[in-house]
Amino acid sequence: MKTESSAAYIARLTITLLLITAVVAAGLACVNAVTAPEIEALNAQKTQNAVEAVLPGGGEEIAFTDDSGIVSTIYKGQSGYAVEVTPAGFNGTVTMMVGVDTSGKVLGISVVSHTETAGLGAEAAADNTAGNAFRSQFAGMSGSVSVSKDGGQVDALTGATITSRAVCTGVNAALNAVAKLG
Amino acid sequence: MEAIVGIILSALLSQNFILVKFYGICPFMGVSKKIDTALGMGMAVTFVMALASAACYLINLLLVMLGLEYMQTVAFILVIAALVQVVEMFLKKFVPALYKALGVFLPLITTNCAVLGVVLVNVQEGYNFLLSVVNGAAGGLGFTLAIVLFASVRERVDKTDCPECFKGFPIALIAAGLLALAFMGFSGLKIF
Amino acid sequence: MDFKKQFKEGLLTKNPVLVQLLGMCSTLAITTSLFNGIGMGLAVTAILICSNVLISALRNFIPSQIRIAAYITIIAGFVTIVDLLLQAFIPALSESLGVFIPLIVVNCIVLGRAEAFASKNSVAASAVDGLCQGIGYTVALIVVCVIRELLGKGTFGGGILNGGEGIRLIPSQFPAMQMVMPVGGFLVLGFVIAGSQKLMKHLEMKNKKKEAAK
Repeated sequence: MKTESSAAYIARLTITLLLITAVVAAGLACVNAVTAPEIEALNAQKTQNAVEAVLPGGGEEIAFTDDSGIVSTIYKGQSGYAVEVTPAGFNGTVTMMVGVDTSGKVLGISVVSHTETAGLGAEAAADNTAGNAFRSQFAGMSGSVSVSKDGGQVDALTGATITSRAVCTGVNAALNAVAKLG
Repeated sequence: MEAIVGIILSALLSQNFILVKFYGICPFMGVSKKIDTALGMGMAVTFVMALASAACYLINLLLVMLGLEYMQTVAFILVIAALVQVVEMFLKKFVPALYKALGVFLPLITTNCAVLGVVLVNVQEGYNFLLSVVNGAAGGLGFTLAIVLFASVRERVDKTDCPECFKGFPIALIAAGLLALAFMGFSGLKIF
Repeated sequence: MDFKKQFKEGLLTKNPVLVQLLGMCSTLAITTSLFNGIGMGLAVTAILICSNVLISALRNFIPSQIRIAAYITIIAGFVTIVDLLLQAFIPALSESLGVFIPLIVVNCIVLGRAEAFASKNSVAASAVDGLCQGIGYTVALIVVCVIRELLGKGTFGGGILNGGEGIRLIPSQFPAMQMVMPVGGFLVLGFVIAGSQKLMKHLEMKNKKKEAAK
């Protein structure tokens, strides 16, 4: 029977734990090697889909200056721009793409990723009746948009005013960013 | 400054860790039979959450530097477990009075998803060091607020006469539901 | 090894959610559609089986002082694997469950079974235990999901059936949205647990009567 404080015992504890952690880390590295390219490809595909969904024909990334703090990328295409914005939603950041034509009108919006509540805020991104109706109402809007509760013209998602407001914030930032581009 | 106030208010009320985001339900249900134990648990959790936020922020810098983001969950939970142990030993040795008050709650905190939750949210949101710590501490205070309020409700609920099969846990859950309903009122707070 | 007994325990008499009251966070947070419930249930079942098997295999190798740390490391490893696989191959589920996948690490069911069962029993028995507890968890999640989805959205099978919209059972102006919000989680789980307690009392009485008749 070893005493609990003997150096050999402590060394055994340390080595055991170290071994387990090392094995776990090695296992994860293997899995990551398999999944990382998949995830990356999925994300790239998603971004491309999002750009094409709001800007027919897609576009190329261009340089810009951002003073709202939530515009992350702007793509320029033939009919206008696709602006990636990241407003704060209910649970976290909502990453979305806003298509804006050269005259400053919204072409369409799509949500790339989010962490909103399933069944409520998540509907903003969902491919169903409620989600499509919510997103399609932005098409053609210009100037400044806000939800009807705040005196605007956008019908908020049921039970998800904050998410809806976040989407409006994103659209406004995109419109401003494009207006600045001239 | 505005960001800090926003984080504090939302962590306390409109985004309360327990009643809105469902982090840390186990201790919320388990350690809420008396107000003073609930307060003790809340303080211990707040302390560990703030510390864990700080420690994991630094660890995450290291992980990102090494390109090991996929090790985040493993690294964070180990850091939290180690941190809880260190805090326990430190308090036992140097602040026995505080250890007496918080001691029994500390081992339970490792598996409190509020702690791992706040750390993961900090990373997801890309908070800087200060905001991470503020979010951790405010989340802990939100946890404390909810658990103390709930304990005071529960002390009364436990004495009431209710159908046999609702006794204990089910009726407590329903009481928690009503409390969550009250907190829903805060969701209109315009802080975003 | 008594498969039937373990199965009954996992599903009913020692159901991790309804009786042991473990893993409440995920039970309350993600049970808003059938898709979420089944996905979360299967993810946790897979992790439970894997971690139970590995921990049981290593049970004589891990010194008792560091067992919790060792268990958590192993569990966190499996959780991250599941998280990465879901992100890569079932992105819809990964998005829907969000931060609650990494939070499976601190789901008390997994650590609880490691400590209470896998650390004391053979590999095969632990695998069966993981499977049975996982099924019990999944079934409880599905029950809560179905009720919340029906009351809150008026649909059944959201995320899977009918192209993701679910089959509408209640006209869309009637459902109480609150049921898919946090409030509904607490209320529905309270009623489901009360119901299961009633059911178990009933079964117990029946068994007693049977024995008395013998």
